[in-house]
Amino acid sequence: MLTIALAKGRTADDVLPLWRRAGIPVPADIDDSRALVFELAGTPFGDLRYLLAKPVDVPTYVQFGVADIGVVGKDILLEYDRDVYELLDLGTGYCKLCVAGRAVHKNTRPRRVATKYPRLADEYFRSQGADVEIVTLSGSIELAAVIGLTERIFDLVQSGATLRANGLVVFDEVLDVTARLIANRSSYRTKRAELERVVAALEAVLAGQEEEMRR
Amino acid sequence: MQRPWADRPLGMRDIYPEEARRRRDLENHLLAYFERHGFAQVSSGALEYVDSLLRGRPSSQAAAWIQWFDMSGRAIALRPDMTPAIARMAAPAVGRGRIPIRWCYAERVYHRPADPALVTWSSGRPVEWTQVGVEWIGERGTDVDCSLLELCQGALASLALQGCQTVVGHAGFTPAFLEAAGIAPDEVKPLLDLLAEGDYVGFRTQAARAGADTDMLAALSRLDPFTGIRLVEALGGRWRMDAPGAAAAEAAWRELVSLAEALRRRGLEAAISFDLSLYRSLPYYTGIIFEVFAPGVGAPIGYGGRYDGLLAHYGADAPAVGFSFEAERLLTALGEGEG
Repeated sequence: MLTIALAKGRTADDVLPLWRRAGIPVPADIDDSRALVFELAGTPFGDLRYLLAKPVDVPTYVQFGVADIGVVGKDILLEYDRDVYELLDLGTGYCKLCVAGRAVHKNTRPRRVATKYPRLADEYFRSQGADVEIVTLSGSIELAAVIGLTERIFDLVQSGATLRANGLVVFDEVLDVTARLIANRSSYRTKRAELERVVAALEAVLAGQEEEMRR
Repeated sequence: MQRPWADRPLGMRDIYPEEARRRRDLENHLLAYFERHGFAQVSSGALEYVDSLLRGRPSSQAAAWIQWFDMSGRAIALRPDMTPAIARMAAPAVGRGRIPIRWCYAERVYHRPADPALVTWSSGRPVEWTQVGVEWIGERGTDVDCSLLELCQGALASLALQGCQTVVGHAGFTPAFLEAAGIAPDEVKPLLDLLAEGDYVGFRTQAARAGADTDMLAALSRLDPFTGIRLVEALGGRWRMDAPGAAAAEAAWRELVSLAEALRRRGLEAAISFDLSLYRSLPYYTGIIFEVFAPGVGAPIGYGGRYDGLLAHYGADAPAVGFSFEAERLLTALGEGEG
C-alpha cells in the first residue's frame, strides 16, 4: 500500500486535477468529506491511502514514514528543512515569496519584518546585509504592515489581490514557489516500483503540459 | 505553571526498565556477533577535540555538534559519530604496520538539538543516540567490501529482522560520471550536495543548466552493476571514453560489477541493490557507500562506506571501510522501541 499525504485546502484543489489527469484514482468524496483518511483498494497503482493534513505537517508525516509520498509547497520545504526526497516539481500552486509593505517604506531601511517564514526571512535579509527584527506570525501577515507592527512583510503572494486590498505593494520577489512531490527516504528505497508508477504517471502529464505550452 | 519534578534537558531521553534492557540486549547481541566475526570491541571518551573531528571533514559539519572549550582553551565537542575516534586510535598502530585492524563499538553519539518537534529517535534527529558498528582498517578490494556487506546482512539476519533493503552507491563513480557527461568540475560539487540532500528537482534543473543533455538522475538510477554490462554499452552511443572523468568512472564501474558478482556468489543479491544516485555528503568516502532500510522505519537504520583517504589525515595512510547501526531505530524496526 502507498500512503499519500496531501495538504487540506488550496494545495489539494490544485493537485487533485493533476492527479485525475494522471489517472491516479482519487476518492470521490475527498473534496467535501470531513474525514482525514481515505482508502482505495485495488487501483492500477495498488492500494492507495490518502491523508489530509495541514500543509506544514505534510513533510513531517513523510519524514516519519507514516506517509510514503506527499505534496507540499517549496516554501515549506525550505523553511522547515525536513529530511525527505524531493522528486518532482508539479508546477501547480504557483506563487511567489515576496517582501511587501506600504509604498512609503519602499526606500526606507528595513527594521522589522512580519512573516510565517522566520528562517527564510532571516536568510534573505542577511543576504541583503540588512539587520532586521523578525516578528513571527501564523497568518494574515498583511495586517502587521497595515497596522504598523512592522513596516515590511515577508510572505507568499499569489494574485496580489490581498496586498492591493490592504494598500500594500511588492518591494522584492524573493523566490518562485510551486508544489513538490516528496518521498520518504525509506519508502523511496523499499517501495521503489510502486512509487515509480505514480511518479511516471505524473511526469507524463507534466511533460504533456509543457508540450502544450510550447505550441 | 509550577512543576514539582526536575526537568530533563532538551533532546535527552530517559529509558525505563523494559526499554533499557532491550537496548542493552541489542547492543550486546550485535557486539557478540561482530566479535564472533573477528572484530574486537574498543571504546573511547565522549569528548574529542574539534580539530581532530574536523580532519578530512568540511568545517560546515561542526555546526551540528555540541561544542565548548576545555580548561586549556581548546575547542572540544561531544563526538557526532565514532569514526574520528577510531581513526585517531588506530593511526599509531597503522603507522607501526600492525594492520589489518578490525574493531567494533557500541557508543552514544551526539548532535545539537534541532527543532524540538523532531527530536526523536525513530526518524528525526535526536540529541543523543547509540551507534553500534565496525571499522575495518588496512585492507581493500572486492572481497573486503563484500565481506563487510555480508557482515551487515548477517547481523540483521541474526536479529530476525525481515524485509531489510541495503542500497549501495559509489563515492568515486558518481562525480566521475557527472564529469564524463560533460558537467564542468566546479559544477559537480553542488550537484553532489543536491543528491545527498535528496533534492532531485534541484539536481535535474542544475544538471540541465550545467550542460547535461539527458536526465542524469534517471541515468544514474538505471545503471545496475548486477547486469554486468560494460559502461559504454549501458550508455549506448553517449559515452565518450576520452571525456574527462570517463577513466575514473570506468574503473569505479568495474569495481562495482565485480562487487555485484561477489554478492551474487554469496547469495546476497536479494537484499542488496545498487543506486548510483545515492550519495552521502562526507567528503572522505572514496568507494562504496550504503544505507540500510527496514520496513516501518522512515530513516536509514544503518550507514556505511569506504573511506580510504581518512586515516592519512590522522597521520598514517591506510584504506578503511565500516558501517554502523542506529540502535534506537533498529529497536523501532524490531517492534520493541518507541512506536
